[in-house]
Amino acid sequence: MKFIDKKTIEINRELSELDKFTLDFVKILKKYTNYVLVSGYVSILLGRARVSEDVDVIIQRIDFSTFQALYKELKKNNYYCLNAEKESTIYDYLSNNLAVRFAKKDKTIPNIELKWVKHKFDKLAIEDTIDVKLSKGDLKISNLELQIAFKEEILKSPKDLDDANHIKEVAKEYLDKKLIQKYKGMLRGFY
Amino acid sequence: MGFIEENEKERKSFVRKWAKYVRTHSDKDWSKQQNVIINSALKSANMTREQFFKMKGETNFVKYKDYR
Repeated sequence: MKFIDKKTIEINRELSELDKFTLDFVKILKKYTNYVLVSGYVSILLGRARVSEDVDVIIQRIDFSTFQALYKELKKNNYYCLNAEKESTIYDYLSNNLAVRFAKKDKTIPNIELKWVKHKFDKLAIEDTIDVKLSKGDLKISNLELQIAFKEEILKSPKDLDDANHIKEVAKEYLDKKLIQKYKGMLRGFY
Repeated sequence: MGFIEENEKERKSFVRKWAKYVRTHSDKDWSKQQNVIINSALKSANMTREQFFKMKGETNFVKYKDYR
C-alpha cells in the first residue's frame, strides 16, 4: 500500500468479490454524479480482516431525469433496488434523506447503500476525497481523518473502533492527528 | 479479568497485529489472506430481502432518517 500523496493511495491488492462489486457499480454511478465511499468498506479496502454486507456511498443530489438515466443503466447491468421498484418511489426516498440499496439480480448481499449528501460532514466527505488506485480502476474514499473521527466520536461500536484502529495503524505515518481532533470537536458540536 | 474483558483484549490485539502485518507485507500477500474471509462469507450469504431488512432493522424496507 503506497500513500503517494494526501490525495492518492495505490493498492496492488488481489481484488475481493466486494472490491469487484464496488468497482462495477461505481463505473456506472460516476457517469451521473460525484460519489464517495465511506464507513466500513474504507477500512476493508485498506486491509481490515472482516467482511461487510453493504458498501456505503454518498452522492451529490441529482435531479429526477439524471436519476432515471442512472437507474436505467443500473437495471441494464442487472442491478435492482431492494427498497422499491418504481423509480419515482426510489427518488422520493432519496429526496427524503433515506438510503436506498442496490444489489445484483437475485442477490441481497453484497449491496450498495446509496444516500444523498445530507449535512456538512457528508459535504466534507464528498469534497475531500482520496483516490484509491487498484488494478481494475479507481475508487474515491473519504479522507481518513474524518472516517476515524466519526467512528471514534459518534459510532463507537466495537466494530467501528476496530475499524478506526486498523486505519490508524496502516496509515500511521500519513495521518494528521490534529485534524482528527479537530473533526472530533466539530462532530461533538453537531450531534 | 472476566470473559468479556478478555475477549475484548484479544480482539483489539488481533486488530493491531493484523494491521501491522498489512503495513509491513506486500499487498498481494495480505489481500490473498483477507479474501479468504471476504469471498467465503459473500459466497455463503443467502438471505431474502425480508430477512436482510429485518437483520438491518430497517422497517418497511427503509431506514429512518437519522442514518449513518
